[in-house]
Amino acid sequence: MSRAARPWLPRFLRNVLLWLVPAWAVWALFAPGYNRFLLASGQNLLHLTEYPSATLLVPQGPHDARITRLDLGKTLEKGFRVTDLHFHLVLLLALFLAVPDVPWRERLSHLGWALLVTIFFDIFLVFSTVKSIYATQLGAWSLANYGPFARNAYGLLHHLLDLPGKLSLPLVLWAAFYLPLLLNPTPASPRAGTRSAPQGDR
Amino acid sequence: MARKRAPQPVKPAAKAPISPATAVSIWRQNRREITFLVLFLVLLGGGFALISLNWVNDHAVEPFTAGIARVSGAGLNLLGQQVSLQGTIIQSHRFAVNIRNGCNGVEAMLIFLAAVLAFPASWRSRLAGLGIGIVAIQLVNLVRVIALFLTGVYFPKLFDASHTVIWQSIVILFGVLLWILWANRWAMASAPETPVESAP
Repeated sequence: MSRAARPWLPRFLRNVLLWLVPAWAVWALFAPGYNRFLLASGQNLLHLTEYPSATLLVPQGPHDARITRLDLGKTLEKGFRVTDLHFHLVLLLALFLAVPDVPWRERLSHLGWALLVTIFFDIFLVFSTVKSIYATQLGAWSLANYGPFARNAYGLLHHLLDLPGKLSLPLVLWAAFYLPLLLNPTPASPRAGTRSAPQGDR
Repeated sequence: MARKRAPQPVKPAAKAPISPATAVSIWRQNRREITFLVLFLVLLGGGFALISLNWVNDHAVEPFTAGIARVSGAGLNLLGQQVSLQGTIIQSHRFAVNIRNGCNGVEAMLIFLAAVLAFPASWRSRLAGLGIGIVAIQLVNLVRVIALFLTGVYFPKLFDASHTVIWQSIVILFGVLLWILWANRWAMASAPETPVESAP
């Protein structure tokens, strides 16, 4: 198929670059609040695997968290940067908002579903981060409480979620909604290439 | 005037489970999309599980990262930074960085590789895409390492945010956009024609 028949690509690339800055600004604005939500949700998820509940995820400033265990007290001095867990939201926002020739309503609907999946992923990422710290970074306590299989399993889970999972999630979600644009390119509409995606413009 | 009959309450239809025929229909309509996503996730998970093995890390990833450090160090010396190298560490009298996993571009390369291999295209197109794409991703990563070192030297307060959020996003986004560009411009142009299946 000729290049002229698929003119959405240059507009898509331009839109992604244009959306990056607003997406980054929105993410930066909401990151501190989102961090607190993730810590509370992650802590609740962790409590499902503990009896009695022992983990406290305490916010340290707007971007960091300290892990506290009620049964270990001050001997546990571990923390992590929560904001680093969800910067993929910037890519997600830019990629989903940049698709041209899709009505705004549909675009926002797709974005909403993608955000929902991402929020669940981020909560699980907090869970796996803390669990991998418990299983692999607390020396004798880790050895006493986690067997070899559990240590490897939690380490691998965190490795897979934190790098490929976190980094590829925007691409996977974008592909889930918009892959047909690549697989079944349609001929350009007469208006295509003139202006980017006003409401109702397919 | 005839009396209208009172409307009969409509019995809500019980929600039937998806029948095998419907499942087959959904599969047929979305076969290429589902195949792509499953294949992509399998290749991605396999690739990252592979580089998590100590032997692979020690014999492939670490030497590769040290090579990136050498090239970045040469670039920084060209810019007058007078750096020295120690394995994957680049250091000057003002600042030092250790290039670790996550900063060597391998993640972006694996995501790009999995996406290219999972996408329906000819092998020639895939190999060309992989060759050009991997080189392009590494060039962007080289710019990232050099820029991060200079950020550490001249704007140390901005280093953390630049390191994780800004440059990580740029490299991954570059890989994603490169794949979309490849899939749209080259892969589909060379893909064998497949019959369009109509929904029953």
